[in-house]
Amino acid sequence: MRIGGQMVEFRINGVKRKVDTDPRTPLLWVIRDILKLRGTKFGCGGGQCGACTVHVNEDAVRSCVFPIQAAEAASITTIEGLDPNHAHPLQVKWIEKKVPQCGYCQSGMIMSAAALLKNNPRPSESEIRTGITNICRCGTYNRIVAAVKAASSDSEDG
Amino acid sequence: MKTTDLSRRAFLEVTGVAAVGINFPFILSGCDGSDTNSNAAGRIIGTGTDFLCWVAIMPDNSAVVRIPQTDLGQGVTTTIAQVIADEMELDWSRLTTEFYDPRDNAKHDNVFAWTTTLGSSSAHYLFDPARVVAATIKSKLIAAAARRLSIPVNELNAADSFVIYSPTDIRISYAHLAQEAVDLMLPEGYEPSLKPASQRQLIGKPVAQFNLADTTHGAKSYGIDFEIENMRHAIVEQCPVYGGKLLGIDKTRLVGLDGNPDVFRIDGFLIGYNSPVPDGQDPDLWAAEVRTDDAVAIVADTWWQAKTALEALSIKWSKSAHSGFSSESLEKTLRQKVEGNLPLSGQHGDFHAAIAKATTRLNSVYSYPFVDSAPLEPMNCTALVDDGEAHVWTNSQYPDDAWRITFELAGIEPNNAHVHIMPAGGGFGRRLHNDFVYQAVRIACQNRGIPIKLVTTREESTKHSYYSPLTVARFEAGMSAENQVIAWSCRVASGYSADQAYGATRIPFTIPNTRFEYERDKNTPVPFGWVRGVGFSQHLWMNYSFFDELREQTGRNPIEFYRAHLDPERVPEDIDNYDLAVRRAERNLRMLEFCVEHGAWNTTKGPGVGRGICVSDSDYFAGFGSSTKAAIVDVTLDAEEFPKIKRIFLAIDAGTIINPDVVSAQLEGGVAFALTTALYSEITIENGGVQQSNFHDYPILKMDQMPPLEIVIVPSFDSPKSVGEDAVPITIAALVNAIADAGGQRIRRLPISSALKA
Repeated sequence: MRIGGQMVEFRINGVKRKVDTDPRTPLLWVIRDILKLRGTKFGCGGGQCGACTVHVNEDAVRSCVFPIQAAEAASITTIEGLDPNHAHPLQVKWIEKKVPQCGYCQSGMIMSAAALLKNNPRPSESEIRTGITNICRCGTYNRIVAAVKAASSDSEDG
Repeated sequence: MKTTDLSRRAFLEVTGVAAVGINFPFILSGCDGSDTNSNAAGRIIGTGTDFLCWVAIMPDNSAVVRIPQTDLGQGVTTTIAQVIADEMELDWSRLTTEFYDPRDNAKHDNVFAWTTTLGSSSAHYLFDPARVVAATIKSKLIAAAARRLSIPVNELNAADSFVIYSPTDIRISYAHLAQEAVDLMLPEGYEPSLKPASQRQLIGKPVAQFNLADTTHGAKSYGIDFEIENMRHAIVEQCPVYGGKLLGIDKTRLVGLDGNPDVFRIDGFLIGYNSPVPDGQDPDLWAAEVRTDDAVAIVADTWWQAKTALEALSIKWSKSAHSGFSSESLEKTLRQKVEGNLPLSGQHGDFHAAIAKATTRLNSVYSYPFVDSAPLEPMNCTALVDDGEAHVWTNSQYPDDAWRITFELAGIEPNNAHVHIMPAGGGFGRRLHNDFVYQAVRIACQNRGIPIKLVTTREESTKHSYYSPLTVARFEAGMSAENQVIAWSCRVASGYSADQAYGATRIPFTIPNTRFEYERDKNTPVPFGWVRGVGFSQHLWMNYSFFDELREQTGRNPIEFYRAHLDPERVPEDIDNYDLAVRRAERNLRMLEFCVEHGAWNTTKGPGVGRGICVSDSDYFAGFGSSTKAAIVDVTLDAEEFPKIKRIFLAIDAGTIINPDVVSAQLEGGVAFALTTALYSEITIENGGVQQSNFHDYPILKMDQMPPLEIVIVPSFDSPKSVGEDAVPITIAALVNAIADAGGQRIRRLPISSALKA
């Protein structure tokens, strides 16, 4: 069976891109293997772990289960494009709190946290803990909570 | 007490790694003692000068430090660099790192001392070698300056990558001295003099990990991110049944698929072992076998195309002798086994006589399931085999063996095989098993000249991993009328495993009569793997839970009961290594008292709250010298008795701390790993194959379950000790005791989620 290729056009990190691919290809693999943006990670392929989280039209999505055809005309943001200077308040606080261990989940964590803050600029601790359901096998969770709190707009130093 | 020697002990004795003041006979003449053609002592890296393989000084006076381990997130890149830079007086702001080259390590007689990332041992085993190397290089640079300036060596000092003569403020950069220094012979009888602790400037500082900022914007490149021109992508599927064979592949459905998919066979193989085995030694005393079953690989232009093609493929597998194997039946068998006698693995005093005289007796059976480390980055490796040369890009935790596998499979000269170590997205023991290197090189051998990046799916990573072994332990103990444990036995039966008897035998309690029996069933098909905390993560909670069961019989509080059984005065006088045993009891007792004082042990618990404590070490053998640590866990129970963890207090004495923030991070991570293990982790086997496949049926703790955590690092000037795995065993032990204290059932089987269903 021949899987038909299809042109899909979208914006990614502000740049217009056109790809010709099997329309069922998950966005993750278009981002990683075709567009060569390797900050978005593959962890589970089943929407479980969130390592592949990106923004599609400002919503956090798990790109490993998001078919590229659904990205037609969408505006996509990956970790590389979250802030032009890599200085989003979350990125600043992530460094300050020394959050990462292996760091593999952290792109997805930051993208999930950024979407959370956009919808809820002053999340309570429990809203942060239940709002970010990504997996960190290294167990950096409490530092993530501290960094998100610090970056949220009700924080004095944020 | 007599116990069988442990692999690590033997290894340390053979290699001499454990000795303080590591002896490098070749160190004064450089790194090329065995190979005069390679000119390794003066090997030029780019335009830099290479010292003893460990450090290169660059012309701009920056330095490159080679890290003898794989960085899995434990921060070894930063911590070892801190040690080297501190002792060598390197300018920290102008320092970069790269991973060691396994080929250089072999060529130069294990110059990197300890390269396997196993057993929380980087600080423990590398602190001395790294400082000796750094001090020696610094001495050479100072000697070169002394010669040039005609000033005695002892009037010069070094700072920030310069040799300095203070009276006239002469400063010569390391870069200007490097070529002269590298060939310079230090005087006969030279002994490196190491900096006293009081003068350290980097060791002990919470320096941030080198690539911290990169990690926040997706710029850190892991094994899975490696890319090279003309690279193709591979995926594998191994036989779903242990021992099954590949009978046939129907490729017809690949016709016309995108990405030009090709199919390749990979034969099942005994690849090697999962930790180093010295020449002439019985591997079974040292390690476990790393085997794979037959597999099918697809190579395509992109990974998704390879995956799509694999799904279209029709593969025929044979049944095997293990087709009927299940973990449930194995557990039943093991439970029967522990009711009879098993081979003796250690004893002290006379257990049988003592138990006969005991006033109170108790026995309990505990069990532990197959557990997978499940690091978040799936197994992967890129390999290129071409024209007598091979390259492998991998984040193996055992790169020396990845190198051997590469040149053996490629059939080339060892010197022409190159392993390039990449950072890993977690490891926890999984990447000590080089199955992914084997598979990638096998595929590359069938695609000569084309770089092949193998990335396995999460399902494949879960189903074909290397697991801590399903284990059943039967405890029996007796107490005197004074509520003192006078007899303790533990009989352990497990599936195929490395020798992990120490998990049962190495209890710190001062009990006069003990007996340990241990059997591993070598015929079970499930492959064994090192998992964070190894034998202690499996056994320690059982030991301490049974200890707590005994305490419950007495009505004494846990602290009193601990004190009575960690009393240095009660160490049996006829025990082997009596002095070490006394010091061990003293260390544990000191940690207990520290915990009571600082861990809010005596505060009011609140309604429904249960509190548990565990004080222990991970002393694999007498004199190993692990850290000593303790955990206090507070829990409440929901209607189904599932615990909610309210808070955890952790204290550790890990000797000299190289980087307190890294230590703290490792302990935080150890707690998360412990809670995942205790609450959820269970791999089950049915019809000869693993049933779990992804995080929905092999769950990992999430953020809303991570409790508040207080961590205290006890100040110490002792040599650095283990950290990475240390929080795991004690947290599980304190948790199960807290559940009992909260009125829940005694947990005798992990994980708790499945124990509660039983």
